[in-house]
Parts: sequence; C-alpha cells; structure tokens
Amino acid sequence: MTHRKKRAKSGWSRRDFLRTAGVAAAAIAFPEIIISCGPQSGGTPTAAIPKPRKGASIRLLQWTSFVKPADAEFKRQAAEWGTANGVTVAIETVTGDQLQPKTAAAVEANSGPDIIQMQYGWPQLYADACLDVTNEVNILISKLGKPDPVNEAFCKVNGTWRAIPYTVVPNAWTYRTDYFQQAGVTSFPKTWDELAAAAAKLKTTGKPMSQTDGHAYGDSLTMWNPVLWGFGGKEVNADGKTVAINSKETRDAIRWAQGAVKAGLVVHPEWLDPDNNQAYHADRISGTLNGASIYIREKIEFHKYTDVTNNAPMPSGPKGTFAMNLIFNHAVMKWSPDADTAKAMLLALMEKDQYQKWTMIASGYNAGPFEALHGDPVFKTDPKLTAFEDVVAPGKWPGWPAMPSKKTAQAQTQYIVADMFAKALANGGTGDMEAAIKGAETSLKAIFERP
Amino acid sequence: MGTATRTDAVPVWRRRRARIYDREAPLGYLLLAPTLVVLGIFLLYPFLFGIWLSITDSELGKLGEFIGLGNYRFEWRNTDGVFYTAVVNTFLYTGVTTVFKLGLGLVMALLLNQVIPFRRFVRAALLLPYIIPTVLSYEAWRWMFDPTFSVINWLLVNTNLVHYPGPNWLGVPANAMAALMIVNIWRGTPFYAIAFLAGMQVIPLDLYEAARVDGATRWQQFTNITLPMLRPVLLVVLLLSTILTFADFQGPFVLTNGAPYNSTQLLSIWAYQWGIPGGAIGLGAAISLVLFPLLTIVVAGVLFLLRRPE
Repeated sequence: MTHRKKRAKSGWSRRDFLRTAGVAAAAIAFPEIIISCGPQSGGTPTAAIPKPRKGASIRLLQWTSFVKPADAEFKRQAAEWGTANGVTVAIETVTGDQLQPKTAAAVEANSGPDIIQMQYGWPQLYADACLDVTNEVNILISKLGKPDPVNEAFCKVNGTWRAIPYTVVPNAWTYRTDYFQQAGVTSFPKTWDELAAAAAKLKTTGKPMSQTDGHAYGDSLTMWNPVLWGFGGKEVNADGKTVAINSKETRDAIRWAQGAVKAGLVVHPEWLDPDNNQAYHADRISGTLNGASIYIREKIEFHKYTDVTNNAPMPSGPKGTFAMNLIFNHAVMKWSPDADTAKAMLLALMEKDQYQKWTMIASGYNAGPFEALHGDPVFKTDPKLTAFEDVVAPGKWPGWPAMPSKKTAQAQTQYIVADMFAKALANGGTGDMEAAIKGAETSLKAIFERP
Repeated sequence: MGTATRTDAVPVWRRRRARIYDREAPLGYLLLAPTLVVLGIFLLYPFLFGIWLSITDSELGKLGEFIGLGNYRFEWRNTDGVFYTAVVNTFLYTGVTTVFKLGLGLVMALLLNQVIPFRRFVRAALLLPYIIPTVLSYEAWRWMFDPTFSVINWLLVNTNLVHYPGPNWLGVPANAMAALMIVNIWRGTPFYAIAFLAGMQVIPLDLYEAARVDGATRWQQFTNITLPMLRPVLLVVLLLSTILTFADFQGPFVLTNGAPYNSTQLLSIWAYQWGIPGGAIGLGAAISLVLFPLLTIVVAGVLFLLRRPE
C-alpha cells in the first residue's frame, strides 16, 4: 500500500504531463525563445545539465599562469567543487610552450587528462579528440550571454563547439612614465606612426621601447599580426584559401616597422615570451607589449617601478585598431571516462561568482569570454588596468579574416608573419623586404594550397 | 626390456628440449629471441610505423590514407621554402660540432691520461654536462647568451675583448648557429673524452717504452701508437655521435627554436613544427625520415674513412 502511494506521489499527473509536453513542443519549435529566456528562467530547459559522478577522478591540464596566485585560486575552486561532489580533482600546470607537446602526445596516444586547455586554434587541430560541448556552451550562453567572437571562432569547429570558452589574456603596452616624460612624450602613442616617433625620442634615454620578433608564441604574434592588420595586410583572404600576403598593404606595414626600428624601436629576434618581462623588471627598456603580468608583478611582487609604470591599449593603423590576445578554452577529451563530470566541473568554474573571484585574484591578467563577464570589477580596482580591458574588443585571431582552421593554426605555429617582419627588420631595419614577403608567401602557399 | 621402459618414461617434450639444447643454431636463436622481441617492439615497430606515417596524410590522432611519396615530394620541391635551409643547417651543425668534439675530446683524454693533481676529481667533473638535466643546462646557456644579462658578454666587455654590449648571440643568424654549436660541443665533448680515455688506458705501456727506447718523439708516439690503437673506439664514438648530433633536438629547440626567421632551423625541429604543433604527423614523419638515407650515407662515409688499413 505504502509503495503504491509513494509511486502515485512521484508519478506524473495529467497536468504535469500537459505542461511538460507543451514546453517541450515550444522548445523544439522555437529554441531561440528558450535560449533568450534563459537568464530569467534561471535554467536551460533545452539543455541537459551534466551531473558529476561521485567517486570520479578528473585531471585537468593547463598552462602555468604568469600570475601564480591565479593558479592557486583555480586549484582551490576546483578542489572545493571536487569535495562538494565527491570527485577527486587534479590540476596539472605546465609552462605555455610545454602545453602543446603534451596535448599532442595525449591526442596521439588517445589517452591523458580529461580536460585540456586549448590555446588559440587547437580545437581546430585536435577536433576529433575533443568532445562536442555544444550543450554545455548553450547552458553558459543562457546564463552569461553571448561569447566573445574570438573565443567562439576558436572553439567552434564546423558549427560544433569543441571547447568551452574560458578566458582572454589581454595584451597591451606597459611603459615607464618617467622615461616617457624624460623623452618629452606626454602620453602613450595613439597611432603606429606616433609610436615610431616616440621610440625615436625614447632612444635618447638609453631605455628603448622593445619587442620580440622571434619565435615567442605569445608576444611575437600579438605584436606583428595587429601591425599587419592595422595597415590592411592579411595572410589569407576570408575564404581561407587564397594567400594574400603579397600586397601593397603588407609592404606598408613592413615599411612602417622598418622606419620604427631605424628610428629607435628595438626588436629582439632572440627573445622568447619571458624575456621582455625580465628586461622591463631589470630597468633595461621603457616599454613593451605584453599581458598584464609585468604590471601585476611590479605591483604585487617587485614594487620597484609600480608608480612609474602605466599601461596603454594598441595604437591604430590606417585601417583601424587591432589587437591579438591570448585565448584559452577548455576541451573535454574524448577518452575521458567521466566526461559528464568533467563538463559539470567546467560549468561550475564558469559560474559568474566563482569566475570573478578568480579574475579578481588574477589581478587583471584575465578577462571573461562572455557578455555577462565583461566589465569585470577587477578592472575598476585600478585605473591603470583599463588598457587591458580595452584591447579585448578589437581582438582578432591569427589568420584573420579567414576563420580559424588547421591551416591558420599551422601558419601560426610556423611564425610566418613574425618571421616576415623579422627578416625585413634585420640589420637595424634594413632587411630585404621583398625577400621577406616572398618567403612568407611561399610558406603560406605551402600550407593553404596543400590538399 | 628394462631399458626400453626407461626411454619411454622420458616425456617427448623433454627429449625435444634436450635436442634443442644440443644443437647450436636453434639454441642460439632461442637465446636471441628475447632481445629480438625487445628490439622489434621498441625499434623496429616505431621505425616501420614512422615509414608508414610518412607515406600517408595522417594527422595527429587520426590515421590517414596512403598518398605514396607525396610528403617527400612536398619537401624535396622545397614547397615550404624552409626544407633546404634545414638540410644545410643540419649538415653544417653535425659536421662542425663533430670535428670540434673529436679534437677537443682527444686533447682532453690525453691530458687526463697524464698524472695530474686531482686527477680523479677532474675526471668525475668531466661528466658534469651529462649530470645536469639537459633542458636545465640549455636554459642556463640561454641565460648566458641573453643580450640583456649575458655573463659571456659581461666577461668579453670587461676584459676589453669586445665593445659594449657585445655580440647578440641568439639574435643574429650566424651567431645563433655558432651558439648552438658551442653548446652542443660543450655537452658532447666529455662523451668523446671519457671514451678515448678508456681506450687509452688499455694500450699496453710496453709499446710506449719500446718507442721511447727507439727514440720516438711524443708526437710520433701519438700518431704511431695512440691513434692506431684508438681506432676501434674512435669508430664507435664517431658513429654514435654523428647519428645523435644529426637528430639533435633538445638544445636547438630550447635555445632558438629555429629563430631568427628559420635561419637556425634543423630537420629535427622542422619535422616537429609540422608534425606536432602543426598536427601534420605524416609530413613530420617524412621530414624526419629524410634523415635516414642521408645518415646512411654519412655513416658509410665515416666507416670508409676509418676502415682498418690492410
């Protein structure tokens, strides 16, 4: 009797059935209504929310942040979620340049961490190894609004989300106000031409503005791609097939760069990503393009030049203002025995409150990749951080205007744009421009015309 | 009757086993089998799999389809514009470093073969480049070559050998290549020295005594006794070192990763660039296998040069 009563209680009434069937029919007929109603309804009727499995173990592999407390907070949040859900969570961090070999090894072995941080266009490269996370991204969209176009471009492969947008590492200029004043430069340049003029004046202080044009997977790309775009140049047309580097616009960009180097901008083909940070902290340079880590470490760790350091967004070229930021997303790998648990954890870590606790500790090094995460309070804590918020919107991806693909990823990992500039900027900005463009064109054609 | 019963009592398998033990050839193969299995799994299979990958359009995590020599044609036609630079650099890198490692290793071994103070300590210290984890030592070299903090440049400038700020070691193509070679020589020379030292210590002292009695100079002793007696060691060391240097990856990857603008690109790094970050594992395998016939030629050349005089 008791059993029968319980079953009757937990069973569906006619009213429940009609209500549910109605919602389901509406969801199938007008999914956009459901999505747009998401935040109000506080849930996602169309999406199946993944449930963690008690006793599961999740391994997540990502890079070591330049802001150490941010990693500690990420690990703390993951552990907290793990404890609450009975899941063992292990977060493994490696340096940025080790992450891709480890990812590639896992993909080839079809085994490894359950979640891997995908940088730039890796979801395109490893699409077959990344599970479809469209459902989870839709849940986030319903709560946080539209994702940033760059994260979306990297994460979506042929219309399927292969990674969950995670973060943007904005890249802006960090400079010494005292040296700028000494050189008579009253504010940070707003255009590339002004930057060349400022570099000329700063040369007289003995502390030049400097940047890498070598094989640094972050700083080199974030500098030379925006310069190319700012003058209207591009590697390939929007069709993702026609190589377009050999153009008047590319020549304009290189001419500017050669002029800037002759004037006083110092380029370092030997620098890797940490080298401009070290040079700045060692008082060797007056300005460089980087993530917020230089400023943040000055502020919270070194305290030597904090008061005389400021940050500025990217200068504009004749064709507009462009930026390139480091873009990180999380993919749930197909070999994960607990994919739903992994997805549930990622969703929990992307909850606005959790996420902004993390960005606050990251001190402005990271920005959120969804609409609702814009205007992060961390950027209001210090006016000097505003520049890093400003460079998110004009951000593009390597290979732009073509959509990210395996081929754009290959062009990026071969440093073709950076090498073109480096070759033309050799010997104090007197390198052979035509040979540099020809070399880049050959390399790009090898990639984009390869079947 | 009784004998027949005893023979019948020995099981057939035991009689067969006894026969195998008695015959040399089957026993030899039997003893060789474990080694062959290990070599097959760890050497032959990866090698054959590499060849298979190189003739397919495989991508990371996805076995591709057979495309014949397409990947090789792609590189031999220098489609990407970098392949021949990598080939020339690889030969240059191997040739120059091998000559220096050979010469310096020999000198070092000769010195260590003498009675010098702290000889044991010096011999142990020789192995230092091998004891330090590879990547760590290369990172240290990167710091020493760094234009901002270079201790090498500091020394050169402060001893008035060069003007401030000194050479840009890793930012200028020729310097960067030289820097790669210096580090490889630093790391490789002790291997030569230790091997030569071991070879020198088994040369009978009587030969030197007899030569001295005959009035041979030190140089004559070296050319007529030491060098000929070292020939087998020399051959093995040279072969191993040439092969390892040809395929060297760690040092050049950490120090330059092909920069500036691919001027220090080596075949090993170029294969990695296409195969791992680029995901085109088939093409990457083809680039690394290009080394195979080249290496065979190099090895044959070394063997020819060092062949035992009739």
